[in-house]
Amino acid sequence: MKRRIGVYICHCGGNISDYVDVKKVREAVKDEEGVFLAKTTVFACSDSSQKEIIADIQENNLDGIVVASCSPKLHLHTFRSVAERAGLNPYEYVQVNIREQDSWAHSDNPEKATEKAIRLIRAGIKRAIEAKPLTPNEIPVINGVAVIGGGAAGMRAAIELSDTGLNVYLIEKEHFLGGRIPQWGELFETNERGEVLIERLYKEIVKRNNIKIFTGAEVESFSGCVGNFELGVRIKPRFVKRDFNCKDYEKILKECPVEVEDEFNFGLTKRKAIYKSYEKAFPEIPAIDKENCTRCGICEKLCPESFDFNQKEEKLNLRVGAVILTTGFSPYEPKEGEFGYGKFNSVLTLQQFRRLMELSNGELSYNSKKIKNIAFIYCVGSRQKDGENKYCSRYCCTAAIHTSLLLKEKYNDIKSYHLFRDIRTYGKQEILYRDSCKNGDIYLKFDESNPPIVEKNGVDVSVKIKDILTDGEEIEIIPDLVVLVTGMIPRENGGLEKIFKVPVGRDKFFSEIHPKLRPVETVINGVYIAGTGQGPKNLTETILSSLSSVAKAYSLLSSGTLKLEPIVAIIDEEKCEWCGNCDEVCVYDAIEKKSENGKEVAVINEALCKGCGSCVPVCESRAIEIKGYTNKEILGMIDGILKEVNR
Amino acid sequence: MFHLEYDVMVVGGGIAGQETALNLADMGFKVIIIEKEASIGGKMILLSKVFPTLDCASCIATPKMSETMRHENIEVLSYSEVMSIERIDKKFKVKILKKPKYVREDLCTGCQECEANCPVNVEDQFNFGLVGRRAAYIPFSTAIPKTAVIDIENCVLCGVCERVCPANAIDFTQEPETYTLKVKAVVLATGFNLFPARKKPQYGFGKFPNVMDAMEMDRLLSPTRPYNAVVRPLDGKIPENIAYVLCTGSRDITAGNPICSQICCMYSIKQAQLLMGALPLADITIYYIDIRAFGKGFEEFYQQAKDMGVQFVKGKVAKIEEIKETGNLIVRYEDIEGSGGVKEAEHDLVVLSVGMLSNPEAAGMFKFETLELDEFNYVKQVDPLLNPAKTNLKGVFAAGTATGPKDIPDSILSAGAASAEVAAYIRSIK
Repeated sequence: MKRRIGVYICHCGGNISDYVDVKKVREAVKDEEGVFLAKTTVFACSDSSQKEIIADIQENNLDGIVVASCSPKLHLHTFRSVAERAGLNPYEYVQVNIREQDSWAHSDNPEKATEKAIRLIRAGIKRAIEAKPLTPNEIPVINGVAVIGGGAAGMRAAIELSDTGLNVYLIEKEHFLGGRIPQWGELFETNERGEVLIERLYKEIVKRNNIKIFTGAEVESFSGCVGNFELGVRIKPRFVKRDFNCKDYEKILKECPVEVEDEFNFGLTKRKAIYKSYEKAFPEIPAIDKENCTRCGICEKLCPESFDFNQKEEKLNLRVGAVILTTGFSPYEPKEGEFGYGKFNSVLTLQQFRRLMELSNGELSYNSKKIKNIAFIYCVGSRQKDGENKYCSRYCCTAAIHTSLLLKEKYNDIKSYHLFRDIRTYGKQEILYRDSCKNGDIYLKFDESNPPIVEKNGVDVSVKIKDILTDGEEIEIIPDLVVLVTGMIPRENGGLEKIFKVPVGRDKFFSEIHPKLRPVETVINGVYIAGTGQGPKNLTETILSSLSSVAKAYSLLSSGTLKLEPIVAIIDEEKCEWCGNCDEVCVYDAIEKKSENGKEVAVINEALCKGCGSCVPVCESRAIEIKGYTNKEILGMIDGILKEVNR
Repeated sequence: MFHLEYDVMVVGGGIAGQETALNLADMGFKVIIIEKEASIGGKMILLSKVFPTLDCASCIATPKMSETMRHENIEVLSYSEVMSIERIDKKFKVKILKKPKYVREDLCTGCQECEANCPVNVEDQFNFGLVGRRAAYIPFSTAIPKTAVIDIENCVLCGVCERVCPANAIDFTQEPETYTLKVKAVVLATGFNLFPARKKPQYGFGKFPNVMDAMEMDRLLSPTRPYNAVVRPLDGKIPENIAYVLCTGSRDITAGNPICSQICCMYSIKQAQLLMGALPLADITIYYIDIRAFGKGFEEFYQQAKDMGVQFVKGKVAKIEEIKETGNLIVRYEDIEGSGGVKEAEHDLVVLSVGMLSNPEAAGMFKFETLELDEFNYVKQVDPLLNPAKTNLKGVFAAGTATGPKDIPDSILSAGAASAEVAAYIRSIK
């Protein structure tokens, strides 16, 4: 039967037509075998073009369409839906990428770019001729979401998920919830204290019985497919019973002989092997740090009912429909000697300094020296010229300025010097910068190629800067404290990017699919990212992304079922001789051995198969094909590309 | 079809409003969008490309608009305004005014015959006055709905459109219509206003032809550009030496806007990169106070512009003057990073990087209670740290730039947050 295929060649505004002669392309493909009509269009994706394509299909009984435009990553679903609305099977639509793979790549050679477009479209037409209608598999989904990371982003997401009626598993690696926020004291922009904000979240969480909290818990395996994931979780023993009610906790704290660096205070203080990350930490029972505890038994002697040193590591499997990764950030750790860090006593990071402020009573002093002058050095570990971190950490300018405002409020006599590159108090945060200038804070600007020098000057530390704002003059400050305004790096998460197969960018933060179209989605369908694990953010922005991920997860799971992409591998059981090659190369564990009529053959689990095609070339008996990319389609495409080439 | 009861009313059909509506509709809620213009799309659809990925704005915006329009759970009411919102029990009673388009949307095919034959020529607001449009017109080529509208203020009632319309869609008997809707929740996605460059008279916008604002430049660079080239407004000459004046009307107490607009640094850097492509011989200088390249991929985008040869000069521009003979402009600035002191430089085109101002319209919709605004007239967020979409009125939420300056990625995230908060709220009142 003669085919009736419609071909649409998109200008993409000029993105394509500035380099590819679309009229010439149309001329070249309009008489190809099977083509009924060929048109050019300024924006194929616009509503009016979509309507035109639908009308063409219906009026001319088209039985396949080819749109030559951008990458299928952008608009495959747009045009599949066009086909569907016109009554075609969405898989009778073929997208040809003549933008990313042609006009943009060959903008220097319009003639060849035009020829390439013609060949690619011919291949698309051949594929459309061979394409078969496919039907998605509909599967039930699990009403449950795992939130990995119990900081502000994860806790906030858990509450909102619960309120939409989903069951939530909140999984935190540490023994306590809250993440970085309780370490911070007063938060921009409401001056609510970090631990108060976390208390607000925790109280909401415990009100809801569809949220289960796991602390000391890490994900070690991940399998299944969207809507039906399975997570293997390992839970560290806490050695403290859930009904902990020991009146002698203060005494135990005193008598525990182990002292280690307190990570909550970034090493400014020590803590015991039995501890709470901070006094009002949640859950409200202490934990014993398994690595450092010497099992001396003092605590157990004082409160025998409260401890259980026989607790073992637990493992459990959770089945969920979606996952949200909220693994957060760590402050950049300056290198030994970077602006005197680790070399001079009076050099701290901003995060350490905020802890110092929290730990101080009355006056602010460090190493028993009263602090009167502070030099803040900005962009430490961010916007690095030579280092790895090219990115701006976004929150630090405002955080440092907010800190200096708090200093002024609490200790009127402290003078702040800000050594900056650009002050990035974007939006309403600008007001803080203005207030700080009004307070008399001194701002000195340095160039990336000429950073400030921190060196010993007698008993003191001196900071020298060539200040751009005063014509490059060298200015020396002798501060009581140098505070390095350190940026964000992704928090260590035990290799979750490998477990979940979620890509990270050059900046090592999780990569979203598209910053505007799909900012909280990842290439793994059903796995979302939110908070500072995706990139530096302040708290408000963190919560925006956290709630956005909830919106997406809820949209995915709200109907109870899900349609799966039908582009999966298919086995010809007659040809299959079970050699196991396919099973060996399949990274999704989608292939199993099965006995069929006394013969061993491979079978595909369609829920797990991603249609990647790895199994096809390794099959010795050519028994595997991918639906939507059958051998006939691929060979047809090759013929299309090579038309006119002498064989 | 058009009903009178919805779960959610979204006010504003820009990118934030569309994203909120789509999220809620995907969750199964019935949503109505009220858009005051004849097409949805807001400001984003008028842009050229967007930072930091340099995706063309149309490629992202048009499919979203199209999806919004055809989603079975979304109704769009364009050319309509919210007259009042009144709380009744747990719901809201909303009065809507639908302005007459004098065109029957059910019949119009968007063929543009009326436009081609209309004798009137007035400034095209969607091209910021760079070109004209007719009194019978389609807002812009990617408009949704793509139906004509008659601008009755400027129409001379000649009747030509009525005669040439092949679909008989022109209807001069249309009257304003009012509807009363019942909704459970309201999302304010009312967007922002551009800072009017005339409010900085020392920059000569409106007086010197070759001083334009950045929105006009974005139109010149967009795929649906009016002249298919970047030219000087005065004489159509291809500019060779272009200046950008950042913080025009932002971080500026004298202009009444002390806050930073958050987008101008980046869109100027974007335009500079696009201009480098469009006009390879042109020099581009960006005068700035601080370069605020703070978002994901922004700093890298800024460094890329530097590597491409864009000149960055730290210094606030004080004044712009015109050289009568050439139409070129003298930019007076403080040369901070160079040799210091006040300097002057000649450019043949100056682009003013205007910022965002609030659009306080939403406050006027509430006749029986008060919607709180912040000190900059943006909708006040009562719990910005944990419930960023929440306003002081129960059941009323805000998304996008209604609550403060935001770029497109942040607007989209705030729309996502608003939809999650609305979904939880509606469940709670059931």
